[in-house]
Amino acid sequence: MLSAESSNMFMQDPMRFYRAKRDSARRRVGDKYTILGFISSGTYGRVYQARSKEEDGQIHAIKKFKPDKEGDVVTYTGISQSAIREIALNREISHENVVALKEVLLEDKSIYMVFEYAEHDFLQVIHHHSQTLRSNISTSVLKSLTYQLLNGLLYLHNAHIIHRDLKPANILITHQGVVKIGDLGLARLTQEPLQPLFAGDKVVVTIWYRAPELLLGAKHYNKAVDIWAVGCVVAELASLRPIFKGEEAKLDSKKNVPFQKDQLLKIFEVLGTPNEHDWEGLKNMPEYQNMKRMDTYNTQLHKWCMSRQSLATAQGFDFLNQLFKYDPDQRLSAKEALQHQWFQETPKPTANAFHGLPQHQIPPNRRITQDDAPSMMPLPAVAATSQLQTTAASQLQAAQAQAQLSGKGSAGSFGSVGGAGHTRKKARLG
Amino acid sequence: MATDFWASSHYKRWNIDRATVKLARSQDLQYVDDPEYLDFLSIFFANLIGKLGKKLGLRQRVIATAIVFFRRFYVKNSYCETDPFVVIAACCYVAAKAEESPIHIKNVVTEARLIFSSEEIGVKTFPSDNHKLAEMEFYLVADLDCDLVVFHPYRTLMSLCGKEGQITIREAEAGEMGTGIDDGPRYWGTGEGKLELQEGAVQLAWFIINDTYRSDLCLLYPPHLIAIAALYLTVVLHATTHNQLHGPPSSQGSQSQTHSSKIAPRRSSRPTNSSLKRHTQQDIVTFLAGLNVNMSLIATIAQEIISMYTLWERYKEDPSDTSARNTFSASQFPSTSNTLPSAPVSGRAGMMRSGSVFSGGTATSSAGTPSTGEDLSGSQHRLGQLPQLVKPAVMTPLFLTQVLLRMREAKMVDMGMVVGGMRPMAYDKRLERAQAAG
Ligand SMILES: Nc1ncnc2c1ncn2[C@@H]1O[C@H](COP(=O)(O)OP(=O)(O)OP(=O)(O)O)[C@@H](O)[C@H]1O
Ligand SMILES: [Mg+2]
Repeated sequence: MLSAESSNMFMQDPMRFYRAKRDSARRRVGDKYTILGFISSGTYGRVYQARSKEEDGQIHAIKKFKPDKEGDVVTYTGISQSAIREIALNREISHENVVALKEVLLEDKSIYMVFEYAEHDFLQVIHHHSQTLRSNISTSVLKSLTYQLLNGLLYLHNAHIIHRDLKPANILITHQGVVKIGDLGLARLTQEPLQPLFAGDKVVVTIWYRAPELLLGAKHYNKAVDIWAVGCVVAELASLRPIFKGEEAKLDSKKNVPFQKDQLLKIFEVLGTPNEHDWEGLKNMPEYQNMKRMDTYNTQLHKWCMSRQSLATAQGFDFLNQLFKYDPDQRLSAKEALQHQWFQETPKPTANAFHGLPQHQIPPNRRITQDDAPSMMPLPAVAATSQLQTTAASQLQAAQAQAQLSGKGSAGSFGSVGGAGHTRKKARLG
Repeated sequence: MATDFWASSHYKRWNIDRATVKLARSQDLQYVDDPEYLDFLSIFFANLIGKLGKKLGLRQRVIATAIVFFRRFYVKNSYCETDPFVVIAACCYVAAKAEESPIHIKNVVTEARLIFSSEEIGVKTFPSDNHKLAEMEFYLVADLDCDLVVFHPYRTLMSLCGKEGQITIREAEAGEMGTGIDDGPRYWGTGEGKLELQEGAVQLAWFIINDTYRSDLCLLYPPHLIAIAALYLTVVLHATTHNQLHGPPSSQGSQSQTHSSKIAPRRSSRPTNSSLKRHTQQDIVTFLAGLNVNMSLIATIAQEIISMYTLWERYKEDPSDTSARNTFSASQFPSTSNTLPSAPVSGRAGMMRSGSVFSGGTATSSAGTPSTGEDLSGSQHRLGQLPQLVKPAVMTPLFLTQVLLRMREAKMVDMGMVVGGMRPMAYDKRLERAQAAG
């Protein structure tokens, strides 16, 4: 028999027994997975590599959302909009070219999303070629990656989802060379939005991949912003550096979004200054007057393409040109892009993007490090760690390499890919 | 996915059969004096979510999503083992995020406390601590299996009623259905032909859909079927109303133009007597039959909606309001002319969509104790002293709150706990039942 005290508590907090019941039935992360190490830390949490204790020890990536803290005490303060989005959308979708969510575990005030593991990502491939191989990505690989990326995007767009944060670090590739679009933390359903898209998030898409209509302050935008980002990604794969590497103007103290002059300048230098003839809606853009005050440029895109081996054909140029249409309505849709002649030209895209590649051309496996914040996750078993790491020195090295690869500058201590104070700026605001 | 209902979590995991719904209430049935109370609780909770949602400025679709979350939660849980008031608040909080119109947790706590502790409801235990609600959110999301995308009948209604309806509604509601509707392929019907109804009729159908959330229909049937059933009822109701008041529709053709909703779209939600502009009732029934859906299923759903209204008639939130309720009965349903719909008449356009066929059902009460005559001196009564709550003729929130409390106490006693922290008490439910029966 329970005491009077506990029955009082029950009347005061009638959910006590419910919670106790759920807590005891809950399967814990540690019951199901062995954490092998830490992969990356992002805006919303940390990503770990884990081995399933069931199903033949499959490898997974577990994204742990940062728990909220008040002082030192971890507490419940409400699940972030970003986590809700990523969870809600991932529960609905399933496509070969979109990273699959296996399950979500809720434990100790934290949310763990368990994803299928992807050994590589676009940023890694770019880096491997620019730093290690010092050679271009082959046309075949470039085309295969692009095709699969568009294929995944077509699925998302058909499902009325805009990704809104496409960039090399968010586009993963499995060991088998299959592209997997990841990170739906900024993605949104566009069907019957109760609020216009711009109302929810002041800033979307990381600055280098941000479409001109967004930079010009458009209140309404659509799937075409993802297509622009694809154009930027394709160009980056072809040249191994971001094509429009602008400096982001920071939000002012009132959180107003400033005019992104430098980013627009970087775009105009390559594509030329847009005019009302190419883009009817241009004059209605909120930043139109600011734009008018900038110097004008002519397009250089053809020249740009001709000097990049893998886009140096008429079709290659046309493809990129169509992805970079200033007028969002004229930009190719994912479907049209997939049907572009460039994909018909040899070499044709392959299902395994790394098909026929010599091993050394495939980027190395993800570097897994010791979690630098061990309290965040139960520490991996010693045996599991030692397989992966040998010395403390190599761990540090690995951590640095990883931080650079993902452009995170973890704890602000590591420089970014491009150096010179640039970082791959986050699209999101706190 | 968003367009593909058949591939959605809603269809794959949350379209459940009646047996499952029944099973979900089995523990509650054990502890409730009268099984019917559970159906009234269903109405009560939906109304509460609507009330809290409106206070928080949530749109009708967000409120509908919150109610669906609530129903799904109670597919897995019992009223008597949980605190439905905390669950209600958490459902609103999560639904707002899931529908991309987030609200601050603090507001939810404040408004929920205000509403729940009102004299009308009398629940004083709602926690003032934000963390408590956030904690509930966590458990709620887990019990929902993280399935947070919900389909609703509103979209089907809008696409079935075609441009005419869509445009007026869109202007009027300033985005209730969303800015820039991006309608994908349809997952039902042929996609051919549109139903041309005047706004009054569309609005009535909309209100009927709102009302369906007061039952378990949203768990049992795909939303598009509920929409079609609502339209079907609209047609029946309106045609009858029309014929009774003014004779056959054709003779009223010219008058209908002067009543056109475009002239004064928001002044009144009362459908003009000629809402069926170019269609006879038969036309529309034929139209509905032409959609490739199972019409006998539609009839079943329509019947269930009517049953819900019948029940709802005996539920009252405002004791002083009796008129609309008493004249609206199931037997009168198809022929009632003077009660439909007396839904909201003024207020912001955006709020109109939250209306119901029963305007009275959502009215806020200022009255204190229910005047229904039952012995309900309330919480002072302890188990054992009051063998059964006397079943009132009309259900009120306060009574239902008592029912809930009592279920919880009975459950507690069963678990071997001391009630009220004072007197240990032998309590045998079966014995009590036997006494009550004998
Ligand atoms: N399924 C996966 N398999 C392997 N690695 C992954 C996987 N998912 C994510 N990662 C790694 O973790 C990084 C961060 O993941 P993700 O982008 O989902 O998190 P985020 O917190 O939103 O990060 P960011 O703020 O950088 O966008 C990725 O860039 C990638 O390096
Ligand atoms: Mg990311």
